[in-house]
Amino acid sequence: MSGEHIEGQEAMNIYSVNLSGPAPWGFRLQGGKDFSMPLTVSRLTPGGKAAQAGVGVGDWVVSISDTNAEDMTHVEAQNQIRAATDSLTLTLSK
Amino acid sequence: MMTMTQMETTVHYDNGYDEYQYMNQEDEWDRDNLLDPAWEQQQRKTFTAWCNSHLRKAGTQIENIEEDFRNGLKLMLLLEVISGERLPKPDRGKMRFHKIANVNKALEYITSKGVKLVSIGAEEIVDGNVKMTLGMIWTIILRFAIQDINVEETSAKEGLLLWCQRKTAPYRNVNVQNFHVSWKDGLAFCALIHRHRPDLLDYSKLNKDDPLGNLNLAFDIAEKHLDIPKMLDAEDIINTPKPDERAIMTYMSCFYHAFAGAEQAETAANRICKVLGVNQENEKMMEEYERLASELLEWIRRTTPWLENRTPEKTMAEMQRKLEDFRDYRRQHKPPKVQEKCQLEINFNTLQTKLRISNRPAFMPSEGKMVSDIASAWQGLDQAEKGYEEWLLTEIRRLERLDHLAEKFRQKATNHENWASGKELILSQNDYETATLIEIKALLRKHEAFESDLAAHQDRVEQIAAIAQELNELDYHDVAAVNQRCQSICDLWDKLGTLTQKRREALERTDKLLETIDQLFIEFAKRLAPFNNWMEGAMEDLQDMFIVHTIEEVQSLIAAHEQFKATLPEADAERQALLGIHNEVQKISQSYGIKANIVNPYSTLTTEDLIEKWDKVKKLVPQRDGALQEEMARQHANERLRRHFAAQANLIGPWIQTRMEDIGRCSLEIGGTLEDQMTQLKQCEHVIVAYKLNVDKLEGDHQLIQESLVFDNKHTNYTMEHIRVGWELLLTTVARTINEIETQILTRDAKGISQQQMKEFRSSFNHFDRKKNGAMETDDFRACLISMGYDLGEVEFARIMILVDPNGTGKVSFQSFIDFMTRETADTDTAEQVVASFRILATDKPYILMEELRRELPPEQAEYCIMRMPPYAGSGAPPGALDYTAFSTALYGESDL
Repeated sequence: MSGEHIEGQEAMNIYSVNLSGPAPWGFRLQGGKDFSMPLTVSRLTPGGKAAQAGVGVGDWVVSISDTNAEDMTHVEAQNQIRAATDSLTLTLSK
Repeated sequence: MMTMTQMETTVHYDNGYDEYQYMNQEDEWDRDNLLDPAWEQQQRKTFTAWCNSHLRKAGTQIENIEEDFRNGLKLMLLLEVISGERLPKPDRGKMRFHKIANVNKALEYITSKGVKLVSIGAEEIVDGNVKMTLGMIWTIILRFAIQDINVEETSAKEGLLLWCQRKTAPYRNVNVQNFHVSWKDGLAFCALIHRHRPDLLDYSKLNKDDPLGNLNLAFDIAEKHLDIPKMLDAEDIINTPKPDERAIMTYMSCFYHAFAGAEQAETAANRICKVLGVNQENEKMMEEYERLASELLEWIRRTTPWLENRTPEKTMAEMQRKLEDFRDYRRQHKPPKVQEKCQLEINFNTLQTKLRISNRPAFMPSEGKMVSDIASAWQGLDQAEKGYEEWLLTEIRRLERLDHLAEKFRQKATNHENWASGKELILSQNDYETATLIEIKALLRKHEAFESDLAAHQDRVEQIAAIAQELNELDYHDVAAVNQRCQSICDLWDKLGTLTQKRREALERTDKLLETIDQLFIEFAKRLAPFNNWMEGAMEDLQDMFIVHTIEEVQSLIAAHEQFKATLPEADAERQALLGIHNEVQKISQSYGIKANIVNPYSTLTTEDLIEKWDKVKKLVPQRDGALQEEMARQHANERLRRHFAAQANLIGPWIQTRMEDIGRCSLEIGGTLEDQMTQLKQCEHVIVAYKLNVDKLEGDHQLIQESLVFDNKHTNYTMEHIRVGWELLLTTVARTINEIETQILTRDAKGISQQQMKEFRSSFNHFDRKKNGAMETDDFRACLISMGYDLGEVEFARIMILVDPNGTGKVSFQSFIDFMTRETADTDTAEQVVASFRILATDKPYILMEELRRELPPEQAEYCIMRMPPYAGSGAPPGALDYTAFSTALYGESDL
């Protein structure tokens, strides 16, 4: 899985979650374009909002608040998530 | 006719005088035996004159009444003259008995006329007895001049007297009672003359008191105009108290005979006139008839030929004029003639009736003018008329028909001539000589159309000829012109037929020729195309820039070329065949005089092209031979180069390989220190560097080869690139390996890894480097980690992979391996550590302030942080607070959100 896409299953495992704010959302974000790694959820806070919403560890972040996250740097992704106050919508891929 | 009326008005005095009266007269004569000498004188004059008036008719006279009758000859003559009868021939003797005989003959004659002569004997006469002679003469006068006078049934003397009375009755101063004194004043004589011939004297001018004048006048007139000679003497009558009765009677008898004779003659003449008149009338009628008949017949004779004239006229107008003439004839000229004929018949009938009434024989018209003749002539006329009328109508119909036909002929002929005009010229055109095949076909079609047009006109020409024929049969007046025109039409028609035929033949012939040529052209084109292709292909092939790299290739090209050359004769044959076709076309068009520009429509290529290309081909063949030979030589040369190169490369390649192995081995070496490795490697490096010359030389060879455009070399698997790459790889490998060793040394020194550790690492690494190429693959690494007791999930392993193989090469180098292995134990900076560091600087606040950064960090780093740190979003933070946690995690690509 080192930066490689899971072939053939991409399209079928995309899901969206809408976390109600405020932060913390309860997950660790890893990667980014500047790290040549896709943005992934590397850790979940047990019982946290993300974990409650069904986010999985290792899932890729496809979009943040309806903005495509594929080309985001880590900082950009970070900022985008921080910008969401009342609620956060994430589209992820297992 | 005047006498007739006079006769009718005279009173018929009847005194019963007849034959019996002869005796009385004799008596009277006897009584007058003693003649009054005056009377004797008077009688002598009167009787002499009287006898002479008769004898002059016989051309003789008497002078002396008692003498000249003595021989009896003149007496006899006199009697003959008076009576108009012939007496017996007188004796011609001079003797007395002759004379007596003659006188007796005379007396016998007188007696034979019913006169009894008493006491008159021949002797007395011969003897010259005056009284006897006078008496005899008186007897004669009485008998022949007076006896037969018959007026209103009164005869002789009384009759004469009555006559005188009647005739003078209108004259009041005349009263005739007797034959003596009543006549003395002469008026009676004049009246009598005047009564009968008022033109002879003017009675109103007469005077009673001039008896002499009257008498002389009357006697003169009588002598001059009435042919009554003077028998009386005017003075004698005046002077004698009672003139001689017999003399006056004698003179008056002459008057009577002159007038009454004239009257009788008149009456007779009247009767005769009447009869003659009737006759004349009849004759006139007959003449009239004859004349009319003649005229009519003449008219018929004149008219009949006119009616029988069957000379035809030329035009209808003329014929109609004739018809009009005929109508005129019927209406104007014939009716009078009909009337004439009618008249003629009427006349004829009238005439016949008249003739029958007047007891004449029936009229027999002269030959040819008989009723039957007229009738038959008239019949003939009628027939001629009918025939003529029929003929006229027939002729008019005929002419009408002729006119119509002639007009029809003219129209048809004109139409035909219009149609035919110019056709001769068109048919004589030689346009087919310069026509192309398509044009010929078009011409043929046009000609076909024309032929059918011609055929269609055949009918019309025949019609024209038929009409001309009919015109001939019907004897059209201008038939000569018609025939001429018809003839010229027919001649032209024949000519057109001939020309059409000839043109057809010419067109067909030309068509066939052009077809043949066309076929030849098609064949030519069909064969030329592939041949051209072949030639083009051949030219291409022959000029083909070949790039050959081997001798075999050249050889095969040469072989191909030879094969090709082998096909040339065949091709040449084809070429000749094509030219042959072309020549044939030329021959055909020349020999048949086709003047059209004969161009092959099926082929854009000409024989010139063909020839040109062929020549080119032929030229190219040896050229190619040369080229191929050249190439062959070149290939041989190249082969030499190749071999040379190969020889070298085959040496150098393995040498490099060996060196690489050396290096690999060296790096994998477990025994010995890193420094030892380093030394070995350095030594290797020297050797390698020293070997460079060879490589350079090889480069040189390679350049030659490349310059010769040789790109392959079967003599060696080593390309220059290989060698080059290998060499560079060697160089880099040795350098890298040296570098690795250096790094290892550094790392060992930095991380304090002992030699033993290093050996262990190396051993593990070598063990898991299954492929023994100085790097572990992903699976190798995983296996390695597992063997080292790492229980890794995929995620974690992935993370680890990212760490050891950040470039995703799929290989883990020994250095990375070492790094990883030592990282776990070494003190590395992690995100938490950086966060912790910042916390210190921020005095445990979850945020940091710009002043703090500026205060604690060097300005550059401080600004860097200020720029990049996101604002702290937590509560209780002053403005300008910065979130160092997010920043730090972001540095390591890990954020807790």
